[in-house]
Amino acid sequence: MSVVDHSAIELSPRISEAGVADYIALLKPRVMSLVIFTALVGLVLAPGHFHPVLAFTSILCIAVGAGASGALNMWYESDIDALMSRTANRPIPRGRITRPEALTFGMTLAFFSVMTLGILVNWFAGALLAFTIFFYVVIYTIALKRWTAQNIVIGGAAGALPPVVAWAAATGSLSVEPLLLFLIIFFWTPPHFWALALFRSDDYARAGVPMLPVVAGPDATRLQILLYTIVLVAVAFAPWPLGYFDAVYGVTSLLLGAAMLALAVNVYCRREGTEARRATRKLFAFSILYLFALFATLLLEVVARALAPLIW
Amino acid sequence: MDDKREPDGIVLTEAQKKSRRERSIAIALALGVLVVLFFAVTLVKGPAVLVRPM
Repeated sequence: MSVVDHSAIELSPRISEAGVADYIALLKPRVMSLVIFTALVGLVLAPGHFHPVLAFTSILCIAVGAGASGALNMWYESDIDALMSRTANRPIPRGRITRPEALTFGMTLAFFSVMTLGILVNWFAGALLAFTIFFYVVIYTIALKRWTAQNIVIGGAAGALPPVVAWAAATGSLSVEPLLLFLIIFFWTPPHFWALALFRSDDYARAGVPMLPVVAGPDATRLQILLYTIVLVAVAFAPWPLGYFDAVYGVTSLLLGAAMLALAVNVYCRREGTEARRATRKLFAFSILYLFALFATLLLEVVARALAPLIW
Repeated sequence: MDDKREPDGIVLTEAQKKSRRERSIAIALALGVLVVLFFAVTLVKGPAVLVRPM
């Protein structure tokens, strides 16, 4: 008598019931929307004329590349996603999509996004997009995330690259401006994610992910949030006095920076109870608004400059 | 042809058929977008479509 009924296994292959919505969830649509927005800003800031069809193609490829990174991230992290309340509802832990399906989906999207950007726009941008996907999946997700508390500091580079890719798509080269946008997102990432990690530290501890609050404790994390916020505010303000962005951006950056700094100080000072949790959540929510408003200001400046000759 | 013959192999449930159809339509749309995109860029670039700077 056989312990395992092999005939039953052979006759019952898993047949997917995953719908389009499950595959869209694999793309991390909320992250993708921020990627599209920051890439759009990189694109409109780039000098010279860029045909709208090529601009649309570039943004589409960058968005699909970001989605591919999200799918590959969920493929690799399905074991820890199942352990955390924030991620337990993702398609793989829920059993809607299998790991091989997610891997195939992610690799297919990564291939097509890079090849399409390379063939239709330019290979420099295509190579940068390939590097971004590689950095997010291999360097951040596979190598760093489960190994070091500095995971999101180094891994943040992947999230900061979309405006650089967009600039490269428009110009075929790089310049100081896209690197400034890169630095703003790079230094924005630690306070943003550590604020999240502070109120989700139980989740991360259960999953064995060495986020800073789990490894170094909440107080050390609060100090790091404050220090990175100071650097962020300075980096975000610098382009104005350096002459890269206009006064409207400079003043907006100062006002937003002051609010961000005040919230980071609040997180640093309030360390116990509901007040502390509320301060952390406020900083997390405001950090999203901060980055959005900063980039929206740059976008509006370009639009206003383009429309000014038509109005006056 | 014997129409009354029992189907062989795997028989999909209604939910599986529906999701498979959904996925097939999504793949078809994605391929359609890709074709339109390549066509549009070919028109935009004209003869320069073969020039692909590094």
